[in-house]
Amino acid sequence: MSVAIPSLAPELVFTVRGLSKVYQTGAGDVHALRDVDLDIVAGEMLVLLGPSGSGKSTLLNLLGGLDAASSGSACFRGLELVGASASALTRFRRESVGFVFQFYNLVPSLTARENVALITEISRNPMTPEEALDRVGLADRMDHFPSQLSGGQQQRVAVARAIAKRPTLLFCDEPTGSLDSESGILVLQAIDEVSREVGATTMIVSHNVGIAAMGDRVVRFRDGRVVDIALNPTRASAREMDW
Amino acid sequence: MTSKVLERKLARDLWHLKWQVLAIALLIACGVSVAVMANSAHKALIDAQMRFYTDTRFADLFAEAKRVPRSRVSVLGQIEGVAEVDARLKATGLLHLSGQTRPATARLISLSEGPARTLNGIDLVQGRMAQAGPTNEVVALKTFIDAAGLRLGDRLSATLGGRTISLVIVGAALSPEFVYVPSPDSFLPDDAHQGVFWAHRSTVERAAGSSGIVNLFAFRVLPGTRVEPLLRAIDAQLEVYGAQPAYDRKDQASHAFLRAELKELSTSAVILPPIFLIVAMALVHLLITRLVEVEREQIGLLKAFGYSDRVAGWNYLRLAGAIGLVGVILGGLLGGWLGGAIVGLYREYFRFPQLAVQFDWTSFVLTAGFSLAAAVTGSLVAVGKAVRLSPAVAMQVPRPATFRAGLLDRVLPKAYLDQATRMILRTVQRFPGRAAMALSGLCASLALLVGVQFLFDSLERVVDATFYHTQRWSDSASFTEPRAFAAVASLRRVHGVVSAEPVRAVLARFRSAGHPETVRIIGLEPDAHLHRPLDEEGRPVRVGASGIVLSQTLAQRLDVRPGGLIWTEIMEGRGAKLALPIVGLASDYSGLNAYMARRDLNRLMGEGDVVSGAELLILADAKPAFYQSIANIPQIIGASSRDDTVMLWRNIMERSFKTSIGFYLAFAGAIAFGVTYNLGRISLSERGRDLATLQVLGFSQFECAYILMGELALLSLTAVPFGLIGGYGLAQGLAAAYSRDEVRLPPVIGPSSYGVAILVFLVAVLVAAFPVARRLWKLDLITVLKTRD
Repeated sequence: MSVAIPSLAPELVFTVRGLSKVYQTGAGDVHALRDVDLDIVAGEMLVLLGPSGSGKSTLLNLLGGLDAASSGSACFRGLELVGASASALTRFRRESVGFVFQFYNLVPSLTARENVALITEISRNPMTPEEALDRVGLADRMDHFPSQLSGGQQQRVAVARAIAKRPTLLFCDEPTGSLDSESGILVLQAIDEVSREVGATTMIVSHNVGIAAMGDRVVRFRDGRVVDIALNPTRASAREMDW
Repeated sequence: MTSKVLERKLARDLWHLKWQVLAIALLIACGVSVAVMANSAHKALIDAQMRFYTDTRFADLFAEAKRVPRSRVSVLGQIEGVAEVDARLKATGLLHLSGQTRPATARLISLSEGPARTLNGIDLVQGRMAQAGPTNEVVALKTFIDAAGLRLGDRLSATLGGRTISLVIVGAALSPEFVYVPSPDSFLPDDAHQGVFWAHRSTVERAAGSSGIVNLFAFRVLPGTRVEPLLRAIDAQLEVYGAQPAYDRKDQASHAFLRAELKELSTSAVILPPIFLIVAMALVHLLITRLVEVEREQIGLLKAFGYSDRVAGWNYLRLAGAIGLVGVILGGLLGGWLGGAIVGLYREYFRFPQLAVQFDWTSFVLTAGFSLAAAVTGSLVAVGKAVRLSPAVAMQVPRPATFRAGLLDRVLPKAYLDQATRMILRTVQRFPGRAAMALSGLCASLALLVGVQFLFDSLERVVDATFYHTQRWSDSASFTEPRAFAAVASLRRVHGVVSAEPVRAVLARFRSAGHPETVRIIGLEPDAHLHRPLDEEGRPVRVGASGIVLSQTLAQRLDVRPGGLIWTEIMEGRGAKLALPIVGLASDYSGLNAYMARRDLNRLMGEGDVVSGAELLILADAKPAFYQSIANIPQIIGASSRDDTVMLWRNIMERSFKTSIGFYLAFAGAIAFGVTYNLGRISLSERGRDLATLQVLGFSQFECAYILMGELALLSLTAVPFGLIGGYGLAQGLAAAYSRDEVRLPPVIGPSSYGVAILVFLVAVLVAAFPVARRLWKLDLITVLKTRD
C-alpha cells in the first residue's frame, strides 16, 4: 500500500531561458533585454528593480504576453509564450494574468463597480465586483466614476479589477509611480493582501528601492540584464516599509 | 503672425490627419461640385440659347391659324406693341420612312424670302438652302435626319394636306423653335418621328394646294409692352381665320422644355450644396475640438513659452481653413468635370449650333466662400477653447473625463447591459451634441439616398398610370380635320385592329378668378374602355354626366372644385363661351387635361357626330401593316404608339436619370462615409487607451471593435428610420420642385429604392468603419499603457 506524499517542491509557474528583446530603431538595434534566465515559483512575490531602460518593464511585458520576444523561451505552465499566436496570448491574459498600471487605466465612462465587472464578465471563476472592491477597501465607493475618485482610490480600483478574476499572475508596472507616499502605501498594502488571499504569483516593477522589502525575491536589472537576485528571508508588510 | 515652426506643425498636422481631412474635404467638394456643375451647365445652356436666339432672331410671340390671306399680315404688324411680324405657310402630314414601322410627322414650313433677316431663322449646318423649283428641295431639321438615318440628297415621300409630294433633302439646319422637339403625345424627344422641313414658299404652296395664304405667325414685341393684352389683340385679328390662341415664348414647346430644364438645374444648385456644407461644418467642429483636447499640453506649452493666445487659436483656425481649401479645390475640379459631362449629355437632347462647356467662376467663388466660411465656423468653438486655455491648467495632469449615470442607466435594468454596451451608451449620453450631429449627418445621407431615387419610381408610376391605366390604347391616329364617326368605323375594319374608340379634342380656355389656362378638352365616349380618366383611388371617373372632368393639377391651378362651375371659352369652331359644371377630378400625372362626353362636346361645337382622332388597340404583329395602310390615308395627320412612347421614357430614364442619380447616390454615400470615418477616428482617439487597456486585460480585438464601433452602429441604425422618413420628405420637396406642366411627379418611393438606399448607406458606413477598426489590430499596447491619458 502506498501513500501519496504531497510534493514539497515549489511549483514553477514560469520558466524563462535566454529571453532577449531587441528593438530595431532608425539609430540601430536597441537591446532592451539580454539573455535572461529566471524561474518563478507559484505564489511568490517578485520585486523587479532597476533604473529606466534597464529591462524590467520589458520582461514584465514579455511575460504578460504584451510583446513578442526576439529570442529565448518563456514557458508558463507548459504554454510557450515566445512565438504564441495573438489569440493564444489574448486567452493567456484573459485567463491567467491581472495587470495594474502606473496610470490606473480605468475606463472613465464606467463606475468602480462596472470597471471591475468589465473583467468579471469575461472570466471563468471570478469573485463578484463587490467582493473585489471590498478587499481593497472601496466598498463605499463602488458607484463612483473614476473622475470622482482620488489617484490612490483609482489605483485600488485597478487592483480590485486585476485580482477579481483570481489570476495566477499579478503584474504591477510602477503601481505607485503616480501616487504620493500615503496613497502608494495603501495601494501596495492592497496588492500585498489580495495577492496573498488569491494566491497569485506577483511581480512588481518599480524604481523605488523601498518596495524591495515586500518581495520574496528582489530581481535587479541593469542594461537589459539581470544583475542580481536577492532573497528576502521575511516579507515586510507594506505598512512597515521605509518609503 | 506665426512662426515657421508653427507653419511646419500645421503642415504635419494636416498630413497626420490626412484621411480625416480628406473625408471632410470630400463633403465640401461634393457641395462645391454640385453647385459648380449645375451652374456651369446652366451657364452653358443659357449662353448657347441666348446666342442662338439672337443669331436666328427667335420670336417673342407665336400664333397659328388655318388660312390667312397674305394681305392681312400688314394689319398684324400694325397692332400696338408689335415691332415685327413674320408670316409663313406650314403644311403638316405624315412621312413614311423605310425602316420605321410608324410614320413620322412631317411639318413643311416656308422659308422667308428676300434679303431681310426674318424671325425664327434657321442655322444651316450642312448642304445648302432650298431653292424654288419642281424638285421640291427642302432643308431638314438636323436632329431628324440624324435620328432617322437620312442623308443629303435623299428623296422622301410625304402626305401633306391630303396630297402626296416628293421632297429632296438639300441641307440640314438647326432652328430655335426646335432645339428640343417633343413628341405631341409625351413631352419626350422622339427625333426620328418628328420631321421638320423648310422649303421655298412656292414648294410649300404646292404641297398645301393653296397660294397667297399663310398660317404661321411669329412676332417681335416692342420693349416694355404688356404681353397679355397683345396676345388678345392678335387673337382678335386672327379669330376669324380659325386661329388657335396666340402664345408667349414661355409656352413655346421647345423653349418651355429648356426653361424647365434650367429650373431643375437651379433647384439642384440651391437644395443640395447646403446639406453637404452643414455636415462638413459639423465634422470640422468634431475634429478640431478633439484636436484641441489632444494637444492641450502643447497649447499650454506654447503659451508658457510666450506665444500669444491669438497664435494658439490661429493655428487651429488655419487648419480648418486648409480643410475647406482642399475641399474647394477638389470641388472645383470635380464640378468642372461633371459640368462638362452634363453638357455632353445635353448635347443629345438640345440642338444648338454651339453648346460649349463652361466653368461658372461666379458660383465657384461663391460656394468656395461659403465652404471656407463653413469650415472656419465649424472650428470656432474649439478655437475659442484653445484661446482661453490657461497654460497652468493645460499642463496639469487632466482628471479622467467626467461621466455620470444617465437616463439609460435608470431606465434599463442593470442585468440587461454588459459593461461594453454600458460604455457605448454612456458615451452617447456624455456627448449628446456630438451624437446629434453625427446622427443628423447620417440621417441626411440616408435621406438623400432615398430622396434622389424618387425620380425613377415616380416616373415609373407616371408611365404605368398614364400608359397602362388611364390610356389603355396601343396606338392612336389623329385626323387633319374633324371627320364623321364613320372614319373610326373604317379604322376598326383594318386588319389587326381589335378595338377603336373615337376621340374629339378641342382647344379651350378656362378662366377662374381671372386666371386663364389653355387646355385641350378631350371628348370621350361615356363607356370608353381605351381611355378612362381615373380618380385618386384608381377608379374610373365617368365623363357622361353633362359636365366636365378636370385633372387635379388643372383644378388646383384654377382653384376650382367639383360641384362648382368653370368659365370655358372654346377656341375652335364657333367659339362657344359658357360655364361648365365640374363633375369630377382625374388624378392625371401627365399634362393639364379636361374630359367631356364626346357628344356633349359635339353639341358645344355645334357640329354633328364628328371625331378628331381614334384610339386603337392593335395586335402587335399587325402594326407594320396597319401603319403602312394609314400612311396612304391623307386625312391622317399623326399617329402614335404607346410602345414607342414607353420605350422613349425608358431610354431617357436609362441614359440620363441613371447617370445623375448615380452621381447623387455617390455624393450621398460620401456623407455617410465622411461622418462615420471621422466619428470612428475621434472615438478611437478618445478610447484608444481604454481599448488598449482592455486588450491587455484579455479582451479580443473583436470585443474591442464592438466597443469602438458600437456607438457608430447605434447611431447608424438609429438614423435608418429617421433617414427613410427624411428621404420621403425630400422626395416630396423634389417632386414639387421638378413637376412641370407636362408631368406631375408623385412623391413615390418603391421598396427597392428604400432597399438600395439602406444598402448603399450601410456599405458606406462599413467601408468607413473598416479602416478605423483595423487600427485596433495595430494598437501599441505597451506605449499606450506607459502614457498618461
